[in-house]
Amino acid sequence: MKAAAALLLAVLAWPAQAAWTWGEALTVNSVQGAAIFPHLESANRRGVAVSGDTVGVVWEDNRDGSPQCYLAMKPAAAATFQPEVRLSQSDCFEPVVLALGAGRFVAAWEEAGKVHARVLPGGTAIRLTEAESVQVTLALRSDTLFAAWAEKAGRFKRIVVARLALVNDALSVKLAQPVEAQAPPDEQGWPALAVAGDGSVTVAWEDRRYRHSVPLVSHSRDGHIFTAPTRLTDHKSGSVDGLGAGTGAMRPTLSAWGEQGFAAVWLDKRDFLSGYDVYAAFDPGTRVFGRNLRVQDSFGDNMAQWHAQVVGDAGGRLVALWDDARDGSPDVWLADWNGEAFGDNIAVPAASGPGAQSDPVATLDAAGSLHVVWLDRDEQAGTRIRYARAGWK
Amino acid sequence: MNLIRMLLAASCLWVTAVLADPPPGYPFVGFDAGLKAARASGKPIFLYFGRYGCAWCDHTNKKTFSDAALKTLYSDNYVLVYVDAESGNRLTLPSGERITEAELGVRLQAFATPLFVYLTPQGDKIMQIPGFKTVQDFRDYDRYVRGGVYKQKTLLEFLGGKS
Repeated sequence: MKAAAALLLAVLAWPAQAAWTWGEALTVNSVQGAAIFPHLESANRRGVAVSGDTVGVVWEDNRDGSPQCYLAMKPAAAATFQPEVRLSQSDCFEPVVLALGAGRFVAAWEEAGKVHARVLPGGTAIRLTEAESVQVTLALRSDTLFAAWAEKAGRFKRIVVARLALVNDALSVKLAQPVEAQAPPDEQGWPALAVAGDGSVTVAWEDRRYRHSVPLVSHSRDGHIFTAPTRLTDHKSGSVDGLGAGTGAMRPTLSAWGEQGFAAVWLDKRDFLSGYDVYAAFDPGTRVFGRNLRVQDSFGDNMAQWHAQVVGDAGGRLVALWDDARDGSPDVWLADWNGEAFGDNIAVPAASGPGAQSDPVATLDAAGSLHVVWLDRDEQAGTRIRYARAGWK
Repeated sequence: MNLIRMLLAASCLWVTAVLADPPPGYPFVGFDAGLKAARASGKPIFLYFGRYGCAWCDHTNKKTFSDAALKTLYSDNYVLVYVDAESGNRLTLPSGERITEAELGVRLQAFATPLFVYLTPQGDKIMQIPGFKTVQDFRDYDRYVRGGVYKQKTLLEFLGGKS
């Protein structure tokens, strides 16, 4: 009887035992060296995309004597990445990549102080604005392509959202406009952009108008007119006993999630003695982000988290990733949303253990597989960009 | 003399440009300019890793860096560098790697701000000290760093033995 009950419990518990099953990790960058420094930093951390059956990864490194941006691709089933393509001619930073489908991508980056974009393979790079601009990111829904970046407007930079036109491999800017018409009262940067199933656009960014860094968010039903910005954080930070202006929160990331929703994840210093923590909030379709949830579990307490990102899909799957050194050295961690909370923190197998593995970027493909790219640092041999794919089984 | 004038001018421009929270009146400069100046002058670097709006930075500025003698001691004997813990502005490490100011916090494993980092003129880290510190603390750190004691003793050994 007891055995039957145990079997029944095991059968009932079976779906909860599903987990990410990882494939072999691959190296993305073909050139490494002690004095070559690859970086995966970008606005909304959009450094990997899956287009049809092709994986694309973008990054910046200095192999050519100056920081340049690169794209490497591989067929999903291939055991190696093809040699990377250089995207830039001048100093380049913070590239992002987005899947257009059927093996095509659009990449965007900052080059010589202005943001650029290009369709790949083929295509020609265009400048998205003539103004000083940085930290570009991209979002797509159906055939509507958006970009957002931080653009100099007087003394400070402000967030601009653009609708891009794509004809064959030719990109152009149909309409670019600031989220707020007035001149920014302080610095804005690091935009995150996502388009929901109903076509509405949400942009979040890091904003200093309150004399400290606060992630703000704004929505648009049509991608033209944006609502007045509101705080993404439910923690009303401010000065303490007349000192300072508030605890910081930075680098918001956004993902479309479910049929109509958005999810946001960012680094938050509301507990200012334990470094940045990873926090999340959800907009189920109301265009209001709800209460904030701490993402990392208690084993990540008293530990600074870095490089957080959220990736979601229309089916409701949602994964947050970041790195922290709770096991003694930086490792890449993830947490799945289970419908009520973020689950136990799981170390990405090939991105944990001895050495320093950090700076994850990730995406979910159409089949629900998770693709993760990270930096594997080795001061002598040089830093490798690593990639692994996981299926939920 | 021209170099000093240029650095002073650059520091004035820099302070007004970044709008972060270095203590007022100190000749703080950005990381790259500071590393260059330190290499040229042979002075150690005092790096203030602060955060825009940080309450404890504000407290340290008001309680400690307001001391005129401390201001003279540090302004005369260090190249003063301010880095903004959340900034996307870029700096170049002594290794040649270009990272954002925020990323420097990752490399320093910064838990909280303010974080004070003492570096050799070549940019090698001597020690880092987190949190609010008093005028006397900074005087002690100065003796530890500029006296070269760090080459023989840990900071705790030095502080335990100081009179």
